[in-house]
Amino acid sequence: MRQHMTVFTLTLWLCLPVAWLLSGQRFLDWAYAMPDLGRVDDTILTILDRADAWRATLGLGDPFGDMRAALHRATGLGARP
Amino acid sequence: MVFPTLEFVLFFAVVLALNLAVDGHSGWRKAMLVAASYVFYAAWDPRMTLLMAAMTALAWGAGLLVRRPGWTRPVLIIAIAGFLGTLGYFKYANFFMLSLGQLLATLGLERDMAWAGVVLPVGISFYIFHGISYVVDIARGKVEARRNPVDVAFYIGFFPHLVAGPIVRAADFLPQIDRPTPPGPALRAEAVLLILTGLFKKMVIANYLAVMLVDPVFAWPEGHGAAMAWAALLGYAVQIYCDFSGYSDIAIGVALLLGYRFKANFNQPYRAASLQEFWRRWHISLSSFIRDYLYIPLGGNRGSAWRQAAVLFFTMTIAGLWHGAAWTFILWGALHGAGLAAERAGRAAGLRLPRPLAILATFGFVLLLWLPFRAHGSANALAMFDALTAGTDTGPALAPVVLVLLALGLLMNFLPLSWRDATISGTARVPAAGQALILAAGTMFLFALSQEGTAPFIYFQF
Repeated sequence: MRQHMTVFTLTLWLCLPVAWLLSGQRFLDWAYAMPDLGRVDDTILTILDRADAWRATLGLGDPFGDMRAALHRATGLGARP
Repeated sequence: MVFPTLEFVLFFAVVLALNLAVDGHSGWRKAMLVAASYVFYAAWDPRMTLLMAAMTALAWGAGLLVRRPGWTRPVLIIAIAGFLGTLGYFKYANFFMLSLGQLLATLGLERDMAWAGVVLPVGISFYIFHGISYVVDIARGKVEARRNPVDVAFYIGFFPHLVAGPIVRAADFLPQIDRPTPPGPALRAEAVLLILTGLFKKMVIANYLAVMLVDPVFAWPEGHGAAMAWAALLGYAVQIYCDFSGYSDIAIGVALLLGYRFKANFNQPYRAASLQEFWRRWHISLSSFIRDYLYIPLGGNRGSAWRQAAVLFFTMTIAGLWHGAAWTFILWGALHGAGLAAERAGRAAGLRLPRPLAILATFGFVLLLWLPFRAHGSANALAMFDALTAGTDTGPALAPVVLVLLALGLLMNFLPLSWRDATISGTARVPAAGQALILAAGTMFLFALSQEGTAPFIYFQF
């Protein structure tokens, strides 16, 4: 049971970097919107800034944003009455 | 911190990993989950954690004293007065001062009252009800008092139920905190399904119905005719169900992944064939809390029919007031109380409707009463009522996607429960990594489908 839960948790953790890779600048926006926690958020911002600079070199763009736009176009969700 | 946000996803990923790391160490596990719950709550306002800690201290102290011979009654009175006094101050002081000011103005005794206004702490009603449940359940001999304050802090502050329930009874939850249930394949499958269903209900159905239908019509009822007003009222019935039951689903799923089970809070309420049945299906944890801690102690089903009706009416009026400090909520509760009393009288007189007709009648009554519940003030409620009875539609037409959302929201109420069980059984056969991928991919898809930004849950204000 414990082993399966470890696999479950580890898989979820592995999905986080994948989500970050596909999410455009959303993680960075989140980090900048964090309340001021002194050194803690400074460290997070520094790490994410560097990681985002590296991600930009991969040329992945914003697949999450593209998917969102396509879904909204296809469904009509979000259109004001 | 609210569930459908990146912030919560990252927070929960950390908590899930820590929960696994301290598995088998009961003390560490409890301390970690209490610390996580306080971090979760501090994300709104760190000062409010002091209030929650104070309420926890009151519950812990009263719990230790309440079973001493001869002390039960005074300790109960002091503890409940402390809980309700705090709730009354934070939740109702503004309403009381405003109503007093209006009354004095009406009587020509207008006074310039210096009143800064009290900030309503998120979820205060819920954690205070947990405190009451803890002390009363000990007094009734249903659970033993906990000597360790961390146990009490865990019960009252556990983050999945902290800000909008479900209200978990001490007698149900305390035995679990020493012996959590490790989530096996079936429990994980149930948790994954609950979390994804909850996110869909909240992020897609509730949020879009709010911005695309309900909010614009309630903001300007005069600009809409009867068809649009009825659609908005129906939209609100679907929105509030999906909003609140969605939150409950996510809370129950998150708790399951950590090893704790909360009872179901909703059971397809719009299938109810009577108001009594509706309240057994809607916000079940609050209905049963009010039944056990207010209705029955006040006399419940004992005494004459008139006395029972009066107790029912009073209880439901209090339930209305619990939902918010406004006359519209009081009216909503009182009308539900009157409806329940009338329904009981009808049953006693032998009145019976065929079930499909009874479902329609119950839904119609509940639907109409959502009007004062949703309206912001009596003027808005009256304007909306006028729109419902207006003959022409002058506003814009309903978008097809809104009709689809309405249909999906109603479908949630009428899908056979066996379908849900079959989905859980199917997902339980998927390996653990696959279950995690379903959760991650499903969450990302629903985030993509949702609006930008965060819409707070309706029940946070209660």
